[in-house]
Order: sequence, then structure tokens, then C-alpha cells
Amino acid sequence: MKYWYETIAIARRILTELVRQQRTLILWIIFPISMLLLNGFILAEGSKITTTEAFKIATPSTLVGAALFFSSLGGTISTIVAERESKTIKRLFISPLAGISYFLGIFCAYACVGIGQSLLVYAIAAMFGVKFAGSWLLGIIVIFCSIGSYVGMGFFLGTQFARRTEDVNSLVAGFGVPLLILGGAFVPTSFLPKELLLITQFNPIYHMNEALLGISYNAKDLSDYDLRLHFLFLVGFLLVSLASGWLAYRRMLATERRL
Amino acid sequence: MLKIQNLSKFYGDRQVLKDINLHIPAGEIYGLLGRNGAGKTTIINIICNLITPDSGIISIDNLPLGITTKALIGIVPQDNLLYENLTCEENLDFFATIYSLRGQRKQQRIKKCLESVNLGDRAKSLVGTLSGGMKRRMNMAIALVHEPKLVILDEPTTGLDIEARYQIWELINQLRYQGITLLLTTHLLEEAERLCQRIGILKDGQLLIEGNLAELRTVIPAAAILIMDTPTAEIAIARGQSLGFSHHRYGHDLAFWLPEQKSLQEVVSLFAGITIDSISVQPVRLENIYVELTRERLEPAIATSPSLINIMG
Repeated sequence: MKYWYETIAIARRILTELVRQQRTLILWIIFPISMLLLNGFILAEGSKITTTEAFKIATPSTLVGAALFFSSLGGTISTIVAERESKTIKRLFISPLAGISYFLGIFCAYACVGIGQSLLVYAIAAMFGVKFAGSWLLGIIVIFCSIGSYVGMGFFLGTQFARRTEDVNSLVAGFGVPLLILGGAFVPTSFLPKELLLITQFNPIYHMNEALLGISYNAKDLSDYDLRLHFLFLVGFLLVSLASGWLAYRRMLATERRL
Repeated sequence: MLKIQNLSKFYGDRQVLKDINLHIPAGEIYGLLGRNGAGKTTIINIICNLITPDSGIISIDNLPLGITTKALIGIVPQDNLLYENLTCEENLDFFATIYSLRGQRKQQRIKKCLESVNLGDRAKSLVGTLSGGMKRRMNMAIALVHEPKLVILDEPTTGLDIEARYQIWELINQLRYQGITLLLTTHLLEEAERLCQRIGILKDGQLLIEGNLAELRTVIPAAAILIMDTPTAEIAIARGQSLGFSHHRYGHDLAFWLPEQKSLQEVVSLFAGITIDSISVQPVRLENIYVELTRERLEPAIATSPSLINIMG
């Protein structure tokens, strides 16, 4: 129960601060909507397909790329940097708060944001005739795996490379944007040259995108080989990012845990 | 309440704490003084279980230092470590939950803490909107929310105006009356004099001396200290020496240790014929003891009483 209460306390604190600041939440609403609309219309025009078909393709990539990436990964880095800048993290070091509760608290907070963004993106897509016909359970699992992966990576990047607010921007831009483009978040991977397509096979965002695309409209289960591969890659990446995030957090504790 | 035995700590090859022994009984305010880098913060870090000592034993309320003792300690750090976008109440609620307070008890403690730091009417105010003094009191409230038995105050009034300082001092005294043990570090010697029952002075990781103010005064072999401002310091020093008064410098002040209590009139007559801009006779203060003990010199200026010294051997 200790972990539960601590997790809820951390998540509630982050969400209260986000709601109070408003700006960040509003931008996390505006950005995916605008990206979805842009992606959908550009795809429809460029590929000479119907708007519904275009939005069908654009919705999963917008969710994992434009929405969850910036809220879960960017948000986690921001939370850690804000704690470091205001030094409140030192108060947490002094307290009996467990590291696992701290991680889960951040995960829960950004999972709430992510769920909201998912509902929003799919609601907008539904307005253009897109229907979710796949497995709800698998869809939710993929979304949670994506959020967990981003939070884990956020822990890793936030604790190791981000000390000031400016670092958040440079990290998200320098590390994230190329990954997003190669993952098909802004343009479909079919537009990429062959050489880059090879690189996308090692890009976790590409696999998140493809897994969610498959599960959203076609697959009811993981019987499809390609879908299973994307899903397994995503789960593997989740484990790697959680492990690296945890190790990075432990390293931060070892070096910074003092008044 | 707090017992420290033979505590030593190295950072690489550098020994930052040398065989520290300290015992603070319950309900006492203990002042730990020393220059920056003397080892005060390292001791606090060790008590808070943030860093591990290389040797020594520490116990709080007869419990060995560990995860369980975290809940027994409340820390008031130098900086106001607060969530500025949360209200006072929300800040306390957050930390109370982290310290395993639940339900009715949590709400009672939040209310009581806000009232005890005179922020009851600011419960719903965002911390970012509070004044510096209020934030410092809020910082104290967070340290107290889980009813700790030992409160560590790390320079609690640094940077505050005199009124806010008085409020913090009053709060600290109230905590003592409630039976809470307090370990206070400060650079304000007046603060230590006013608040602490016992004082320890650290230098280069060693606890040079500890005791109450009366005991510490015995370190300086003087009944009173004469402070003089004169353009002819050399002549005054010569006169002082002829009278058997040893001279010292406290910043720009020229001081003489008076072996016995003398009135100002007597002192002025003893220095007759010397141009004096100002002169005063004052009791031996903590400031004098502190300066004598911590100043860098080749040889100690004073012989310290062995009973007060913590350096063994």
C-alpha cells in the first residue's frame, strides 16, 4: 500500500501542476490535433487516396509520434529537470519515498495525459469516418507500452543529460525529431528511400507506429507475423528503456543524493 | 536522542570528518558551528542517510541509522525546497502522504502545521506567491508535518530580514517546548547564542569544542573584552601590554582581554592620553570564542580546557 499511496501522490502532484500551468496541457492538445489534420490532408492529396483512408493511416502515427512522444518523453524529462532546478528532488531524497513509486507516479501522470490524447486523436479521426475495428485490448497494451517506453527513456535522458530547462528542448529536438521522421510519425515510411527504410527497422517509434496501425484496423490478435514482430520489438524496447531508466536513476541517486 | 560515536568520513584521500562524537539529549537545541567546508553538511547528509560514513556509529532514538530512521527526522534545508505551483496545503498533503500519513490524521497534521507556522490563513495560497519569510516558515512546516523527533535546521534564517528571523526563532523555541530535539547549523552566532543549550564548533572535520555558553566562555581567559577604535593602535597596544591586557583583532576592531571585570570609566582612565574614537567593554561572546578557535594561525592563541575538547589524545 505504501507504493500505491506514494505513486498516487506523485501522479496527483504532477497533474495538479500541469492543470494549474495550463499552457503545456493546451499545447499537448493543439499539437496532435494539428499534426493529425496536416498528416491526414497531406497524405490524402499526396497519395491520391480518400480522406478517410488517409486519416486511417495518419492516426496511429500521430498518436505515438506527435502526442505520446512529446507528452510522455518530453514531460518526463521536464518533470525531472524541474525537480532538479527547484531542488525539490533533494526533499524526495531525504524522504522515505521509494524510487519505484517515483517512476510509477510519473508513469501514471503521463499515462493519464496519454489516454486523454488517445481519446482526442481517435475522436478527431472518427469525425473523418475512421472506425477502430481492431482489438481494443491489444490497442491499449500498445499505447501503454509506448507510454512506458517513453517514460523509461525520459528517465534515462532526464537523469543523464538534462540539467536545465533548455536541455529539454535540445534533447527532444536532437534525439526525438529524427527518430520521429524515421518512424513515420510525420510522413509515412513508404515515402522514405531504401537506405533509410533499413534504419527504420531499428527505430522503436516505427514499430510502435506499425503495431498500432495493424491493431487499430485489421488485427484482432497477434497471428500476423509482421504485427507480432512489431509488437515484440516494442515490448523489448519497453524492457530496455525501463532498465536503462532505472539504472540512470540509480546513478543519479549515487551522485546527487546529498543536501 | 541523537548519538554519534567516532564518526569519520573520507572524500577520496581527503578526510572531511575526523572521529566526531556527539550526543544530543531529547528536547535540546544543539548548535553546530563552523566555517563553510568544516563538515557540517556532511554530518547532516550522514544523519539523513544520504551518504554513508567510513566509520562510526549513529543512532536516533536508540535506532541504528537506516530507512526506519528517515521518518524520525525532519529537515529544514538552507533552500526553500517547495513546489511553487502547489498551494501550502497541497505541498503539505504531498509530503504527508510520502511520510505515510493517512486520512483524518493527515488532515489534522496539515492544519496544525500551517497554524504553528502562522500560515493558517494562507492554506489555499500558491507557495510561489508567498514572501521569503513565509516560504521559509512553509519550509519548516514540511519538515514538521510527519511529527519528527529530531529536526535538523540548516541555516534556517540565512537571507531573512530581522522580523522574519524573529518569527523563525520563536518557532524554533516552540518546537523545543514541544520536546522536539533540534540540531541547528548557522553562521549567525547571535542565533546560536539565543537558541542553543549547547554548541559545538567544527573545524576541518574535527569537533574542536562543545558545551554550553558558560562552559565555552572558560576557553577565553578573560572576564570581559575591551573593544576600541583608535587611530593610534600601536600606542594603545603598548599601553595594554603594560597593563597586562593581551590584544587581539576581531575584523577591524582592536580588542583587549581584561583579566577581571572593569567598568568603562576605569578602562577609559587606564587608556588616558590616547586618542580614542570609540570604546566599549563587553562580556566574552560566542563570536570571540568562535573567532579564536577557527582562525587560521600557526599556533593556537588559547589553551582550550581538555574537558571541553572532543579531540581525543
